[in-house]
Amino acid sequence: MTDDDHVFKALADPTRRHLLDRLFERDGRTLTELESELEMTRFGVMKHLRVLEDAGLVVTRRQGREKLHFLNPVPIRLIHDRWIDKYAERRVSALSELKTRLEGRR
Amino acid sequence: MTTTVAQTTQVYQVFIKANADQIWEAITKPEWTARYFHGARITVTPDRYDSRSADGDVWGDSAVEVFDPPRKLVHGWRSLYDPEMAAEDESRVTWEIEEDEGGVCLLTVTHDRLEGAPKTAAGVSGTGWTGVISALKTLLETGKPLYG
Repeated sequence: MTDDDHVFKALADPTRRHLLDRLFERDGRTLTELESELEMTRFGVMKHLRVLEDAGLVVTRRQGREKLHFLNPVPIRLIHDRWIDKYAERRVSALSELKTRLEGRR
Repeated sequence: MTTTVAQTTQVYQVFIKANADQIWEAITKPEWTARYFHGARITVTPDRYDSRSADGDVWGDSAVEVFDPPRKLVHGWRSLYDPEMAAEDESRVTWEIEEDEGGVCLLTVTHDRLEGAPKTAAGVSGTGWTGVISALKTLLETGKPLYG
């Protein structure tokens, strides 16, 4: 699998996207904190975090006895630069201009 | 859009197909930084981190804590390019370069001690550091800047 494959695979799961959103709100969390917000076993959360780590979307740091999880947004940025910029920007901006024009008329 | 308090420790990581010496050059020499760091001409010596605009305005001027080429660089950060941010406390940026297999390095950038610099924390998060790091990767891997 390429780096992109890992990232797309990691993002293709609602629990993992939820974990990223939790870290976006507050970074540097322990497994216990993350687990407390999910209806899932500790083992299940660990498994999802592992996939996110393999994709480079989560980076862990040891702080004393605790392992903290940080959101790493760089892979998402690279996907943006690779896919959104190239294929969609012009079309997306044409659509958003249309939306603004139509809504402005109301 | 979700509003959130910007994080006081931010970690950014990317694999770059380049050797550690090239990455070190690219983060410490102005002729390189000007091509991916919002045009900033950054010169890093064992004791000083100096960042200037193309016109010579001072954008950053801080002490260097660790200068260990081509592995680790730690320097202070003050956002002197913005008057409000410039008045905030100094924060800290750590660059770590680890060699991986196949001519690839893992670059980790940690921006921390941002407790006394909320505007800076917000400014460098989101598209801030990710944009710089993504542009650095593109420049080193293709020889061309990402934009322009």
